Amino acid sequence: MRRLIRSGDIALIVLLLLPLAVALPWLGWPRGPPELWLTWVGRVTGILGLAMMLLAAVVSCRVPGFDRPFGGLTRLWKLHHWLGFWAFILVMFHALALGLASVPTSLNAAVATLFPPVSHGSIWLGWLAWVALVVFLAPTFDFFGKPHYQRWKRLHLVSAAALLLGLWHALLLAGEAWPWWLLGIAGLSAIAWRKGAAPRRQHAYRIETVEPLARGVVELVLRPEGGGIHYETGQFVYLSPLDESLPAGRGEEHPYTISSAPSDDRLRIGIKDLGDASHALQTVTPETRVLVEGPYGEFFERHFPERDMLWLGGGIGITPFVGGARDLATGAEAEGHVHLFYLAHDSERAYYREELEGIAEAHEVFTFTLHFYRDHGPLSEAFLREHCPDFTEREIYLCGPPAMNAHLQWLLSEQGVPASRIHSEVFDFL
Amino acid sequence: MNIHKIAYSFFIAFVASLITLVSVSALSSSDRDEIDDDGLDPITLAELAEHDSAESCWKAIDGRVYDITDYVPNHPTEESVILEWCGREATEGWDNKRPGVPHSPRAEGMLEDYLIGRLVDQTVEPVAAETSSTDEKAGDDADIAETRLSPAEDQRLHQALMGLPLDGRYRGVFSDSDEMQVNVQFDLRDGRLSNIRYRHLAYRGVDYFLLGEGDDLYPVMVQHQQLIDGLEGQPLTSIFALYEPERLAEDIDGYSGATLPGNKVHSAFRDAINRGVYSWP
Repeated sequence: MRRLIRSGDIALIVLLLLPLAVALPWLGWPRGPPELWLTWVGRVTGILGLAMMLLAAVVSCRVPGFDRPFGGLTRLWKLHHWLGFWAFILVMFHALALGLASVPTSLNAAVATLFPPVSHGSIWLGWLAWVALVVFLAPTFDFFGKPHYQRWKRLHLVSAAALLLGLWHALLLAGEAWPWWLLGIAGLSAIAWRKGAAPRRQHAYRIETVEPLARGVVELVLRPEGGGIHYETGQFVYLSPLDESLPAGRGEEHPYTISSAPSDDRLRIGIKDLGDASHALQTVTPETRVLVEGPYGEFFERHFPERDMLWLGGGIGITPFVGGARDLATGAEAEGHVHLFYLAHDSERAYYREELEGIAEAHEVFTFTLHFYRDHGPLSEAFLREHCPDFTEREIYLCGPPAMNAHLQWLLSEQGVPASRIHSEVFDFL
Repeated sequence: MNIHKIAYSFFIAFVASLITLVSVSALSSSDRDEIDDDGLDPITLAELAEHDSAESCWKAIDGRVYDITDYVPNHPTEESVILEWCGREATEGWDNKRPGVPHSPRAEGMLEDYLIGRLVDQTVEPVAAETSSTDEKAGDDADIAETRLSPAEDQRLHQALMGLPLDGRYRGVFSDSDEMQVNVQFDLRDGRLSNIRYRHLAYRGVDYFLLGEGDDLYPVMVQHQQLIDGLEGQPLTSIFALYEPERLAEDIDGYSGATLPGNKVHSAFRDAINRGVYSWP
């Protein structure tokens, strides 16, 4: 599944190569002595590096629905991360290659290429862009330890300065400016939308009830104040609680998976105590407001609609499957049979258990199996085959803690299940 | 190795490379760019203007003159763009590769390979802007610079080796029958005659300089004067015009130019050249 090329990827590749394609008639092909090769490489890496920076900004816009052509927001974030990483590497290649290309002329010329007199302002704009890049990427890449999430997020806004400076640098030096205007406006609009317009377009909900499911796990039942959002099962939202009595995370947005069926007039969200913000939400005051942005992701995307499904959920990762089961319970048309394995530590941690068993009893298309780690250890191939003999033939959906996910990926690939038939979403960096 | 570590390693490698490059450059004594302008051949705007085509393209940039003929085919733009500036002051073109965008420091480095001289205006004063600092330096170092000229730069040596007359003041004589008839003095500058005058002019005991306007031979004295006036400012080789003095002197009172003994004056000039420089300029 991760190796598939999506329609969004193709658009991204086209945009990425656009400035290079436009510049190539100017650059020509490298020929002659090594310094001409280095000059060519230096320019090409600069063009690609800036294009990647701008596209990393474009894909960070987080417009609900924009993530679908990319296979969901988690995949889009990975693309963002990947683009940012390569942009950082390439701009350093760019500077170094152009500096070294001048060494055959003289060492002084090489240094003057990189650090020219101030009158060559365009070069210094490039350096300022790089400094801005280091400032906001150093914490992202853990150069000096991991900063607090909210501080990291504020620091990440320096990226806008890096984009502006990089863009200015390129506009002064580029032969053909329009691709940079195009990507530049797209990238900066994405940031402007994310930081300016998006917060005002969030949906207001009121917390109707806070239902405790187990120790450290609650389900929030949210009543829309306006129209509310339209979503599919397994999608997730960013939720910002506004309860003034919250000790942490007030007004901060965090991603949570929806556990209600799309036809439900209430939005239900299962929340496990995993950090300051989600800990505070365990005791959030009913009838206070929350802001919801979304939905995102396409967890239940089908690549093989003709096949039956195998759902493997563990811990709080059961929530998208709860949403899926509730959808089946409301009479939604199922594409084939669904077998859900709930991988819990023990019966105490198997929240939602009764509800899921009830749905399984009432609906033939849905089978439910519990697996307790305390009794059986990690899920084994034998256990799977015993309860679901055709599991290798099904389209498989995974959601759970990273270790469980890794174990299941390994187990399934050992059984010859191709990666294209395994869906998983891991939120560990959202 | 996760991508965080790769990014960090690249970052460190990049910074280390920059530091290495800058420090190696600072530590290696490269005085290639420090060529003293005074050591460069002076080139006038007129000379510059003669090299205005792809066959020979000279450009003056920031007071220095470059012969970029060999580079023209390698320039990344259309040839017309670079040829437009040949044979003239091209600093503006250099500083505006595109409007407002100067050539790169690397291009500056490459340009120095084509340096051939410094631009001077007609009065042989450097046009370069940085006069105050170079003037000071020139004052201090002028004598030393003279004696230190390398064999590649010493024009006086070149002229001597090629058997060409050196710049300087010359004196020469024509004598016949134990009588000095012509004694001429002139200066040679860049191969051209100047300050030409007779120190002595006589024939059969008559000193021409003592003649009055009414004397019979006075017009001949005037014609002699016309001969050297006609040579003033001309190349040295123009003394051969003295074989046909009518080219230089008018017919005055029946003494036609054709009868003038211009070959005596010519002989005095040749004598001066053979004697060598009488005094340095």
